[in-house]
Amino acid sequence: MLLGLTVVLGFGYPLLVTGLAEIGFGHQANGSLVYRDGKLIGSSLLGQSFTDKAGNPIPKYFQPRPSASGSGYNATESSATNLGPSNPLLIGFVAGVNTVGLNGQPSATNPFTTPSDPTCVPTDPHGNPVTSPTPGQRYARTKGGAYVCDPNTVPERAIAYRRFNRLVANASVPVDAVTASGSGLDPDISVTNALDQAPRVARVRHLALHEVIDLVHQYTSGRQLGILGEPSVNVLELNVALEQLR
Amino acid sequence: MNASGWEQLAFIAVVTVIAAPLLGRYLAATFRGGKAPGDRVFLPIERLVYRSTGVDPDHSWPWRRYALAVLAFGLVSTLFLYLLLRLQGVLPLNPTHAPGMSSFLSFNTAVSFITGTNWQAYSGETQASYLAQMAGLVVAQFTAAAVGLSVALAVVRGIAGNARTIGNFWADLTRSLVRVFVPLSIIGALVMVSQGAVQNFHGFRTATTLAGGTQQIPGGPVASMEVIKLLGTNGGSFYAAGGAHPFENPTGFTNMFDLLVVIVLPFAIALMFGRLIGKRAQGRAIVAVMAILFVGHTVISMQAEVHGNHLLPASVSQVVSANNPGGNMEGKEVRFGASGSALMTVGTMGTTAGATDSTLDSYTPVGGAGAFVGILLGEVSPGGDGGGLYSILVFSLLAVFVAGLMVGRTPEFLGKKIRAPQMKLIVAYVLTIPIVTLVLGSISLVIGPGTSSILNPGFHGLSEITYAFASVTNNNGSAFGGLAANTPWYDTTLGLAMLIGRFLPIVLALAIAGSLAGARVHARTRATLDTTGLTFVAFLLGVIVIVGGLIYLPMLILGPIGERIVG
Repeated sequence: MLLGLTVVLGFGYPLLVTGLAEIGFGHQANGSLVYRDGKLIGSSLLGQSFTDKAGNPIPKYFQPRPSASGSGYNATESSATNLGPSNPLLIGFVAGVNTVGLNGQPSATNPFTTPSDPTCVPTDPHGNPVTSPTPGQRYARTKGGAYVCDPNTVPERAIAYRRFNRLVANASVPVDAVTASGSGLDPDISVTNALDQAPRVARVRHLALHEVIDLVHQYTSGRQLGILGEPSVNVLELNVALEQLR
Repeated sequence: MNASGWEQLAFIAVVTVIAAPLLGRYLAATFRGGKAPGDRVFLPIERLVYRSTGVDPDHSWPWRRYALAVLAFGLVSTLFLYLLLRLQGVLPLNPTHAPGMSSFLSFNTAVSFITGTNWQAYSGETQASYLAQMAGLVVAQFTAAAVGLSVALAVVRGIAGNARTIGNFWADLTRSLVRVFVPLSIIGALVMVSQGAVQNFHGFRTATTLAGGTQQIPGGPVASMEVIKLLGTNGGSFYAAGGAHPFENPTGFTNMFDLLVVIVLPFAIALMFGRLIGKRAQGRAIVAVMAILFVGHTVISMQAEVHGNHLLPASVSQVVSANNPGGNMEGKEVRFGASGSALMTVGTMGTTAGATDSTLDSYTPVGGAGAFVGILLGEVSPGGDGGGLYSILVFSLLAVFVAGLMVGRTPEFLGKKIRAPQMKLIVAYVLTIPIVTLVLGSISLVIGPGTSSILNPGFHGLSEITYAFASVTNNNGSAFGGLAANTPWYDTTLGLAMLIGRFLPIVLALAIAGSLAGARVHARTRATLDTTGLTFVAFLLGVIVIVGGLIYLPMLILGPIGERIVG
């Protein structure tokens, strides 16, 4: 019985589905691949990094969400952060919630506060975040003597996002821009996130802002059947279109 | 909750209300015996199966023989899958060069898929070969679902029928696969591919990204697994990220389609039950209880996730607007948004699927508690394929017993008296899962090999462990994923919990059915409790909530409730 089932369900069924899929929906079945000048550049369903060799975001491209898969958008290891809603690695040290003193004991305030980030989670000299300090712990410091904060907390990402997009201090930042997705491969960003990035992209590419904004709206998918899912902007498709615009 | 959340919930409700009765009618016609729809196509296939295996489909068995066949089939399948996983490294169809799994991981994974739990302590992209996924895991997903439906059919025959036998396991298994799971899977897989789910045998393909880097693009027979993962209320995904992965769940449409594929069949099975016993109102009463529980735990989570994480800085906008889905987006995909993610993920928690499109570990305390509650209520909202029905039938027997005590009459269900022998089995059934969950969970909380796997500190870390045991013992398989589960301790204990949580309730349910099979059916009198009306619905809800709620309350207080109050 089991052998028969293995032959029919384990081989016959997937091969039949593969055959039918290939005939009916070949493009989708093969991964919605995107080619440019004949070269494979990715999949419109998988997010990818738009960073330089040092890992810094390239300003002329729209930037995707933070990613927890490998060092970012590594499609061989789809992954989320799994950080809980009060984990300091996600929200930073929030006073009265998860703050600890220099001795590692719970504390009412955050001793690692910096001028720009009251929730700063310090790092050790190797750049690893320190969430349970011990009295002899060594910390990384800036030239001015402030603690160097873990750049991957939401508050730090919000600060970096404002700086990168030249937004005013404390400007509202869309939540998808500072949180990692469930797959680590989210191909989309929210419309607000794209519109916040548009002035930067236009400036770097010497384009008129309205041209870039038009393109954002062109690559926004609405809700399917009017109600399913959320409006989203596909980052790879938008960036490919930008390259063609130039 | 936001408008898009309500709209998607309404969409799910409308489609279910239309599709479940149609499917229920089809199932009843298929499993009543005699002529059935599609005989012209299906009958020759079944005859071929019976002839080649020497099964006499009309030979009905007593419950002991039925239970033995289920156990034997489970044992042989587990051994076969174990060997396949151990040896996958040297077997063909392995373009991603996955090495053989360790003995602990193979045991855990084999048990996990045979029991329909689909707890995944491995990472699909690199640790499972295409051969293991399609010829091992997918076959297990089909058979786990079919075993569940078969057992439910046998239990129904025992509780409601007037024969002393409860059916033939091989015939039930064959019929479930040939007439339900395989045809529906082929259709469902093609719908998913049309939206972008992949189905190929390519292995990784190297792309040169726009910015000049490289990206390995995975492939695999994904859609064919995705559909039976959901239709069979299994939950195990081809890729590590599961339903969040764009190659498995590419659009807002597939997200809701996935949820429907999970829940419509269990609802339909409950309606089939009403038709099979000739009392459709009974099926509707049970569906009402399932639906109320489903909406309850799902809406609570959706509400909490849309509201967002209040510990983030105020300047991070979680407010829902036309251009910003908002909400608690850590671990969630933009195309689903906070409400759609919570609807799909927590919606499947009341089934044994536990299929997720977002990361439960990053849910808010209340959002995560919704998922927890769906599992702790015993997987009856609407439950697994078949498992949901036989579980809620056992709860129904308990409910009429409690009601009978209140009015001082011998309780009866469908005209059959419930007496001490049945009650002993019912109590054993109801206590099995809490005992396994709480004992193994508690041990893990006090020993090093248990606590060293925790990712998140404080209350949340406790939830990671207790959730794992609640999830696997109920054969759900979803996880607070931060827990490092591939360790000898967790591979072994979680594997044992799955085995007990699957097969002991099956044997007990069959035993209850066997003890009622052929019992005298008493005529209704004015004093008989009506088991189709509002009173019964309320009573059954009460029993499920009290049994689930009270047993686990301390665990919830030390986990999500504590986290919510202190955070």
